[in-house]
Amino acid sequence: MKMFQSLAISGSGMTAQRMWLDLISNNIANVNTTRTREGGPYQRQAPVFAQRLEQVLQGGYQGAGVQVSRITRDQSPPRLQHEPEHPDADANGFVSYPNVELNKEFVNMITASRAYEANAAAFESAKQMALRALEIGR
Amino acid sequence: MRFESPTLLALQKALDAGSLRQRVIANNIANINTPGFKKSSVEFQILFETALNRPLPLAKTDPRHLSARGVGLEPRVITHNNTSIRADGNNVDIEEEMISQAANMLAYQTTAQLVSGKYASLERVIRGRSG
Repeated sequence: MKMFQSLAISGSGMTAQRMWLDLISNNIANVNTTRTREGGPYQRQAPVFAQRLEQVLQGGYQGAGVQVSRITRDQSPPRLQHEPEHPDADANGFVSYPNVELNKEFVNMITASRAYEANAAAFESAKQMALRALEIGR
Repeated sequence: MRFESPTLLALQKALDAGSLRQRVIANNIANINTPGFKKSSVEFQILFETALNRPLPLAKTDPRHLSARGVGLEPRVITHNNTSIRADGNNVDIEEEMISQAANMLAYQTTAQLVSGKYASLERVIRGRSG
């Protein structure tokens, strides 16, 4: 049923973009977090999108949507601020703050929500087409 | 008028191509943020037009004649590997995809309308009256 596959593909796109939005929200929420379970400041997280493929009869592969294959941690150096009174300050009085840049997060947030909207529009037109097909013969 | 008319078969193929195209467009849009993704498209219109230019069905003047089953054409999915519009190698152009999607939906609805019309005229013939 190709029509339902279209719906599933758009659904996978919406899931992936929402996952990205979740990570962005998490990055923004942790913009000042200096303590994590692994120790050290929070590191910016980003998704790695990978296309999902499906084997078809003719021996080839056909696109079947998208998935977040893994979540990466940004290894770039932390933001150092001189705050000697902070309990997490190092010997020189510098505190390592997360490498989250708010402007970058906001730009990504717009990209992710626009991509989400595009997937929602594709979903909507697949639905319209399926409904139209149901009307054949009425 | 025949039940399995070549027109109906051709329309059916066109509907199949329409839903395949929707699937391919949905996949392109789903992968709008996937690095290195290359878009695909469905080639059908051109094939369809060439097929239509050929003399269509075989005439069946004897029951032993073989019938021509539709127009032998299948929609093809083509991947565009040679272009990139972004630094990450992705080549999905969102405007182009949204336009193809709108065009595809209209074409699909038109085809569905034609199929409905075809069945409506069959029904008219069967009932022997209009309406």
